[in-house]
Amino acid sequence: MDYLSRTKRQYWIVLFVCFLIYNALIVGLWLLLHSLGSHFHVANDIALLICSVFGLLLMIVFSSIISKYLIEPLKAIWQLILHISPSGVAVPAPNIDSLKTGRELVANLAMQVYQLTAVAGQYGTKAADSELNNNFVANKLPLPLFILDSGETIIYANIAASDYIGTPVKDLTGKNFYMVMDMSFPSESTLDKWLKDVKANTATASMSWERVRLNVLDNHPTRLFDLAAFYNKDNPQNYETMLVLFDHTKQYSQDDQAVSFVALSVHELRTPLTLLRGYIEAFEEELGNEMNPDLKDFMQKMGATAQQLNAFVNNILNVARVDNDQLQLSLHEEKWDSIVESAITNIALRAKVRGIKLESHIEPGLPTVGVDRLSIYEVLNNLIDNAIKYSNDSKVIKIDAHLTHEGMIETTVQDFGVGISPNIMSNLFTKFYRDHRNRSQIGGTGLGLYLSKAIVSAHGGNIWVRSTLGQGSIFGFTLKPYTMLAEEIKNSDNKDIVRGAHGWIKNHSLYRR
Amino acid sequence: MDPKEPVGAKQPHKKVLCIEDEHFIGELYQRALGNAGYDTILEVDGVKGLQLAQTDEFDIILLDLMVPNLTGIEILRALRDPTKTPHLKAKIIITTNLEQREDVKEDIEKQADGYIVKAEMTPKELVEFLTNIA
Repeated sequence: MDYLSRTKRQYWIVLFVCFLIYNALIVGLWLLLHSLGSHFHVANDIALLICSVFGLLLMIVFSSIISKYLIEPLKAIWQLILHISPSGVAVPAPNIDSLKTGRELVANLAMQVYQLTAVAGQYGTKAADSELNNNFVANKLPLPLFILDSGETIIYANIAASDYIGTPVKDLTGKNFYMVMDMSFPSESTLDKWLKDVKANTATASMSWERVRLNVLDNHPTRLFDLAAFYNKDNPQNYETMLVLFDHTKQYSQDDQAVSFVALSVHELRTPLTLLRGYIEAFEEELGNEMNPDLKDFMQKMGATAQQLNAFVNNILNVARVDNDQLQLSLHEEKWDSIVESAITNIALRAKVRGIKLESHIEPGLPTVGVDRLSIYEVLNNLIDNAIKYSNDSKVIKIDAHLTHEGMIETTVQDFGVGISPNIMSNLFTKFYRDHRNRSQIGGTGLGLYLSKAIVSAHGGNIWVRSTLGQGSIFGFTLKPYTMLAEEIKNSDNKDIVRGAHGWIKNHSLYRR
Repeated sequence: MDPKEPVGAKQPHKKVLCIEDEHFIGELYQRALGNAGYDTILEVDGVKGLQLAQTDEFDIILLDLMVPNLTGIEILRALRDPTKTPHLKAKIIITTNLEQREDVKEDIEKQADGYIVKAEMTPKELVEFLTNIA
C-alpha cells in the first residue's frame, strides 16, 4: 500500500504543477492583454477570445504531458507481463529504473510477477536454465542459495551465495559442490551422508543442520551457519538438491567465546591440579612409611586442599552453566545410599584433616531416586563442605537420609557450629552471598548454595535451611523417587550409561557402587 | 586414600596406550599403571597415536582430547570408523580436563567406553577405574 500512496502523491504533484503553470500562463496572458489593451484599444471580448483559444491550446499540450506520465507505469507493467509471457512475442524487459512516476510500485509488482512465474515454473510450465540465472527473485534472495544436480554439481548459485563464500558465480557453476564448500558438521550427521541416504531411499526429503562451519582459505574469515536442504528426485529440470544457508557467524562465535573462556580457564586450572594430586599421591605411596606423623599430616592436608580447589573449579563451571541455561541433567535410576556414601568417602579426607567426624544415617529400604549422579554429587559435596567450614570447634557433622510423608527422599546435613542469623537466611541461596561476620575467618565464594539450589530445583526437589545462631545449621533437600520420574526418563535416551561422580562407563554397574 | 591399600589384582600382559600431550600426567599414569602390572606406552602426538592404536595391540586406550596434530575426537571417530579401523579390541577411555560442547559430548557418549575428568581422579583411582572395565 505504501508504494501505491507514493505513486498517488507523485501523480498529485504532476497534476498540481501542470495546473499551476496553466493558471499562471492564462492569468499572465490576461494581464498582458489588459495592459496592451489600454494602448491599442483591444476590446475586452477579443482579449477573452484570445485567452480562451490560448487556454485550449495549453490544455492539449498539458493533457498530452499528463497522460504520458500517467501511462508510464502501466506501460512498464504491460511490457513486463508480455516479456515473461510464454506467448513468444519478443518484447524487451522494461527499464524500471528510468520510470519517473510509480517506479517503486512497478518494481514491487514486477517482483511479484517474477515470483509467480517462478512458482509456475516449478510446476513445469516454463523455466529454462538461462532464465534461472537471470531470476530476479533468486538473485534478490538475501540468503545464499545453491542448486545441485544429481551428480552434486552446482547448476545454480545466487548472488548472495557468491558473496558469502567470496567466489564469483561463474567460478561456482559447473563445479562439484564439495570442492567449493569445505564444510565441517558438528556431529556425524553430514550433508553427504544424508544425500547418499535419501538418494537411495526416497523421492523427496528435507533436512537442516545447525552450526555448520565453512572452512575457508586463510584470507577469508570462518563462516558459521545453519544449513537447510531440500531434495527432489523427480525434478524435471534436474534441480535435484536445493541448499539454503542461514548465516549465524556472529552469534555462534560469540557463544563459543563465552563458553570457551570459562572452559579454557577450567582446563588451565585442572591440568596443574591433576598433576598436584598425582604427585601428592605418589609421595604418600613412596614415602608414607618413612615420614614422621607431622609430615604425613601435612601431606594429607595438601591432598585435601587440592581436592577442595578442584571442587571449587567444578563450581565455577557449573555456575557458568546455570547462568547460561546450559545445565543439562541426565536422570537415571540410582540407589541413594550408594551416592551419599560415596560422597562421604570422598570428602572424608577434608573432614579428617580438620578433626571432624562425619556420621551418617541412611534409612534402610529407601526407594531408588532419579538423579544426575554427577550433579547431585556436587550438591552433597557443597553442603558437607559448608558444614565443615562453619563447624568451628564442634567435631561432628550428621548426614541423614529418610522418606518424608509426601513420599520424597529427604537428605539433611547438620553441623553444630556458628549457625546463621535469621535476618540473612533468605539471602543464603543467592549468588556470591556470604555471611559478613564470617568472611574474614572462613574461605569461600558464595557459589555453593546458589548452585545446589539450581541443581536440586532441576531435579524437581526443594532445598531448605534451619539454623540457630551459635548452635549450628541444618540444610536439607528433597528428591523425587525414581517411580515418579520413570515416565520422563523412559522417553529420553542414554539409559544404559552409568554416570559416576568422576566420569562414566558404558553399560557398567560396578563403578563406585 | 591409605597409601598401603592394595591397588586391585595385578594385571599381567594388559597393554595400555596413553595418548596424552601433558608429559607429566602421562608419566604419573604410566607409573601407577606399571605398579598395577599394566604395560603402558605413552604417545604425545595425535597422528602417531592413531597409527599406534590401529595396530590393535592394546587392551585399553586412554585418549586425551587435546593432543597435537589430530584432536582426540577425530582419533575416536577414526577408531570407530570400520573403513579406517577394521578391528579394534581395545576399550577407549576419554581422559580430559576440558569441558565439551554438547554435540561433541554426544559423540563421545556413543563411541567411547568411558569418560573421565582427569582432575577428578588421582592416578591410583584411574587404575581402579580401569580394573573395573577391562
